[in-house]
Amino acid sequence: MPKSNVSLLQGTLDMLILKALSLGALHGYGVGQRIAQISGNALKVEEGSLYPGLYRLEQRGWIESEWDVSDNNQRAKFYKLTRAGRKQLIIEEQNWERLAGATIKALRAV
Amino acid sequence: MSWIKATTRFICAWRRPDELVREVETELRFHIEMRTRANVEQGMRPDDAQRAALQSFGDFKQVRNNCCEIRRSLPFDSMPLRMGLHITIAVLAGLAALWAVNVPHHNFTGVMRQLIAIAVLTYLFIVVRRSKRHSDSEHVNGVLAAPSETFRANMSLTSDMSGAPSANITAYDEQGRTPVERVFKS
Repeated sequence: MPKSNVSLLQGTLDMLILKALSLGALHGYGVGQRIAQISGNALKVEEGSLYPGLYRLEQRGWIESEWDVSDNNQRAKFYKLTRAGRKQLIIEEQNWERLAGATIKALRAV
Repeated sequence: MSWIKATTRFICAWRRPDELVREVETELRFHIEMRTRANVEQGMRPDDAQRAALQSFGDFKQVRNNCCEIRRSLPFDSMPLRMGLHITIAVLAGLAALWAVNVPHHNFTGVMRQLIAIAVLTYLFIVVRRSKRHSDSEHVNGVLAAPSETFRANMSLTSDMSGAPSANITAYDEQGRTPVERVFKS
């Protein structure tokens, strides 16, 4: 079956990255894997969009990075959530729940 | 403390651009290597695995340039800075006007001073205009759009969703169907 792309709002990607990192420090590849894992393989982040997203969040001070050695003994950049990022995630989750609730309400209207 | 780190990163990005590019490339190459390994573990031949990894990554140069561009952007909201520049220009314009009134026009030095003042003001005006245009284009491209801002903008029922910045995320279910297909083909 041909698969078509579904474009979600950019904020969604940022929120998913924050959520993935709230579970522990990860490198970029790991972030993509974790998003797929926590969504039950329902969401697949395009790799090209992931890195600008990570850099943008780091620029905003919501995540921070550090070079370390990965499981396979390679140098990799690991990202982790900052305190500001944790607060931001709570705000994003609340916004998302409000938006989703409002959309469901609108769709169920008769 | 994060703003200190961000400012340091911003300065380093401008002072050592080659190092920034190398850092980003190392990170992206690591990603491609990990993807290649995963493909090999799934049974692909190494060549095919690497080709598939590069293909799924997309335009390497474009991603690298986007990352570098983000790192070179100001680590804080540039609006107060631009407002400050506007105020400075207004003050300077006022001072230049006072100066022009007080300095005798027949004096060569006086005329030169006025010309320098005008040149400085013009230069500042161009800088402010350029920074505004750059920041506007960044906003349109979603480079600096915060999630909360995006959500707030799209929470409004009157906003046009078609113009909203989007990220490429593909949502599939177990049978490889998108949400729309799930709704209409169930």
